[in-house]
Amino acid sequence: MAVEIPKVAYAGKIKEIPLGREGNTITVGGESCYPFHLFEGAMPHPPKIAMEVYDRAPEDWPDTALEPFADVAGDPAAWARKCIDTYGAEMIALQLASTDPNAENIPADEAAAITKKVSDAVDVPLIVFGTSNVDKDTEVLKAVCEACEGKNLIIGPLSEGNYRAIGATAIGYKHTVMASTPIDINLAKQLNILLGNLNVPDDKIIIDPTTGALGYGLEYCYSVMERIRMAALVQEDERLQFPILANLAKEVWKIKEVKLSETEAPLLGDQKKRGILMEAMTAQCVLLAGADILVMRHPEAINLVKESIQDLMIRGEG
Amino acid sequence: MSKIICSAAIRGAHKIVGTAEAKCEAALKKWGPVQELGFPNTTYYLPIIYGILGIPVKTLGDAKGVLDKCKELLPAQVSDNVWLPYLAPALEAGMATFFAEEIVEAIRYLEEPNCYTQGENPLPDNIWLGAADDVIMRKRGVEFVDGTAPGFAAILGAAPTSEIAAKIAIELQEKNLYVFMCADHEGKTMSEQLVEAGVQIGWPTRLVSFGPSYTATVFAMGFATRAAMSFGGVKPGDFAANLHYNKDRIFAFAMPLGTVIDEWYANAAGAINWGFPTIADTPIPEILPTGICTYEHVVSNIPHDQIVARAIEVRGLKVTISKVDIPMSYGPAFEGERIRKDDLYFECGGGRTLGVELTVSKDMSEVEDGKIEMVGPDLDQIKEGAKLPFAMLIEVAGRQMQPDFEPILERQVHHLVNYVQGIMHIGQRNIMWIRVGKAAVEKGLLLKHLGKVMHAKYHQDFGNIIDKVQIKIYTDEERVKEILEMAKKVYRQRDKRVEGMTDETEETYYSCTLCQSFAPSHVCIITPERTGMCGAYNWLDCKVSFEINPTGPNQPIEKGECIDPAMGQWKGITDFVFKASRQKIEQVSAYSLMNFPMTACGCFECVATILPMCNGIMVVSRDFMGMTPCGMKFTTLAGMVGGGNQTPGFLGVSKHYICSRKFLIAEGGLKRVVWLPKMLKEEIAERIKPICEEMGIPNFPEMIADDTIGTTEEEILPFLEEKGHPALTMDPLM
Repeated sequence: MAVEIPKVAYAGKIKEIPLGREGNTITVGGESCYPFHLFEGAMPHPPKIAMEVYDRAPEDWPDTALEPFADVAGDPAAWARKCIDTYGAEMIALQLASTDPNAENIPADEAAAITKKVSDAVDVPLIVFGTSNVDKDTEVLKAVCEACEGKNLIIGPLSEGNYRAIGATAIGYKHTVMASTPIDINLAKQLNILLGNLNVPDDKIIIDPTTGALGYGLEYCYSVMERIRMAALVQEDERLQFPILANLAKEVWKIKEVKLSETEAPLLGDQKKRGILMEAMTAQCVLLAGADILVMRHPEAINLVKESIQDLMIRGEG
Repeated sequence: MSKIICSAAIRGAHKIVGTAEAKCEAALKKWGPVQELGFPNTTYYLPIIYGILGIPVKTLGDAKGVLDKCKELLPAQVSDNVWLPYLAPALEAGMATFFAEEIVEAIRYLEEPNCYTQGENPLPDNIWLGAADDVIMRKRGVEFVDGTAPGFAAILGAAPTSEIAAKIAIELQEKNLYVFMCADHEGKTMSEQLVEAGVQIGWPTRLVSFGPSYTATVFAMGFATRAAMSFGGVKPGDFAANLHYNKDRIFAFAMPLGTVIDEWYANAAGAINWGFPTIADTPIPEILPTGICTYEHVVSNIPHDQIVARAIEVRGLKVTISKVDIPMSYGPAFEGERIRKDDLYFECGGGRTLGVELTVSKDMSEVEDGKIEMVGPDLDQIKEGAKLPFAMLIEVAGRQMQPDFEPILERQVHHLVNYVQGIMHIGQRNIMWIRVGKAAVEKGLLLKHLGKVMHAKYHQDFGNIIDKVQIKIYTDEERVKEILEMAKKVYRQRDKRVEGMTDETEETYYSCTLCQSFAPSHVCIITPERTGMCGAYNWLDCKVSFEINPTGPNQPIEKGECIDPAMGQWKGITDFVFKASRQKIEQVSAYSLMNFPMTACGCFECVATILPMCNGIMVVSRDFMGMTPCGMKFTTLAGMVGGGNQTPGFLGVSKHYICSRKFLIAEGGLKRVVWLPKMLKEEIAERIKPICEEMGIPNFPEMIADDTIGTTEEEILPFLEEKGHPALTMDPLM
């Protein structure tokens, strides 16, 4: 006798959000079932991977992560092009790391100029990250919004402390915002409500519930992501029915397990392989929790995850 | 609405539409109907006409069409012998006024292309900026949306002198408002007065000289109308959405300085459509009832030194204070700081001297925001080790303030004062105790600064309910005694109010879903007699919390029809819990342990459960680590109760609820309690006294077993029998 698999009855659906400039958009979201439960519902837009680009040559990366980009590090536009041309990136995630007040602290207009250059060089959707410094991000992201009018960037993180200033600017220049909260479903929902009150349109909001790296609190982040998706799909929580982004690469590539060389830690095995697998596994986890956009770094890790997505999209039906 | 104002507004509107028609006719003759017409560099055409009517005026011919509409809109002149309510006609006249004025201004651009500078700053030979183009509108509009500029003052006319003009302008700037200036009074304009007084005008200083004529008012209104379309997602022609957006979000008002002529009345009537009230310095009639605007519509005869404060109050603008301005660091990190004897410079209260703190609400007119009064010596006038009596009286006023909120606000004093580095605060009311350390006094801290702290923090944390805060601090014995007497009276009233509040007297209860982050299906129902099980939220707290954060976790619930008074089940509550628990909890009782008990998150103060052999109920608190007669320790019990599950026979409760007259009345109430940890029994002994007396068993606490009697049912049963505990003869629990 064939086993009947019990099915979940879904009441909600994730909003479909078009990213990128008009005429060249990529849509995320739209799920009507749990991740890859294709036997229960639909995932019209499989999760997308955004490749990281930094606004300066990274200094604290392990060589294993830097190696694929060694020839373009320091030139963000060229770096972005390489991600697209060589590695087939579906999106670019520009990290404006040098705006950090504890680092170079470059001024907002300089960051805006860099962003403009990158956005002019690419045609895929562009995500722009500040440094999670509430005040500096406000300055920087406002300038970025103004400089890149019409490009429909995805900008963030917007937090409770600066969502008004950045959100208002994003409305004016028609960009998409990333609502970022520290691993808490209530705060995530609250910020989405606040953005709605500010009049940010519903098709311009992405949730960034914060993620950690494998082995560094990932299970908690996983649970929160999963809970957000459950609330959205089976509990009709309208203010959580947005696509989820996981900004994971910078979390993974700073932990000691990817930085220690084989001579320093012989038990941990090949350093390059280790880093790639740490990133791929972290990505795989958040993928299963419900992430729609993964911000990733190493091309080989990305390939592994892409394959897995393709696989799940086929097998999930069965 | 005042008939005088309406007649004047309607008269003014007729004149203005007439002028516009004449100008339009002349222009048509000169240039013909296909001549392009509009404001420079904008995609919003003539923005008021576009936003309200949805008509894109591109040519003189289009303008002619709009003017025909204006004439349809214009009501008949007000007759002397008819006393009708004239509100609607006056508002329509105001609309027609703006449409006509936009056309007048557009034709001015056509006739004299250089009449306005078309930039952000005035030029040496021309101070008039004219309509804001889209670049300015978007850059400045963002500030209206994100709150850096809450709104604008549209000033018509001129102040009596340049000095007064400058003072008003600076005061408005300090409130972060934009000042949009137009029209003249006896040939003088506010913009020119500011230039005379050496004040820098232009968009960057937020003092915007739109134009010399009253028709330039439309540049201010057009700005607001465009903001709604650009930032509010309001579609052109959706006038209702546009006007609501402005009423709710743009804190603007009109401030006519000088004689209010008919044309000004017409403009003021128009602005009321947007929810923008008028605050005048001349004795014109007032329109006080609330209707279109949030509060009053027209307030008049306000002296120049009060006009800004009054305008802000009438428009309902909130004061924002970003920093607590004291010489010490301030923040939660200093809350737990202790001041030891060796570090002590000054102390008051705490049984050492008289000490009292009191927060009361007052009428808006009785409170001057930011005023801090200090009577008696301050820290810089006393010697080390001194002790003084102390009283802090905080008087607040707000349109949303209710006397019920006073105790909640007062309770904040403890942690808000404790946040000051170098100060220790303990207790509340007239048992408060403050110690100030030597280091703080060296850095220049004064008692007066506590006033600044309370002023800033009340505004920051309770801005939704408070508009004004003033503080009086006394170290003078006579004054302290006065305040103390007053405070005692207030405390008595408050206690009476809380005691008198029962679940029957209130129709609205509150939900608390704060803990849904880890117990997704859990919903707390908080009633006057059943506080949240965490002990942190009572009914009044929830009421305030809802006022402050209307979308937050504490939502009011109409309890609706009572299904079962003994169980504590109401239709409204049941429906709410079903929905908020995501359809997991179908019924909930407020007063029962056995039937549909309330779910719990994990942060209850105590757990109640049954002891079948004793036919009673035991309650164990979180701080009791030992074994209990049910065979489980608190930690094990907590696992049974938490997580949002309904487990009959297990319930999370607060200590306060044990002392409530509604405590588990479905099971027989307090009488059922057969065991408590000794520490808990002692803690609540005083509070349950009156209930024991009402039960007719004044010595009831002595009948309750505790951990010194036994920690198994077998051990405590003989004790209960010996004492004749009432539970033994009650109906069986199960």
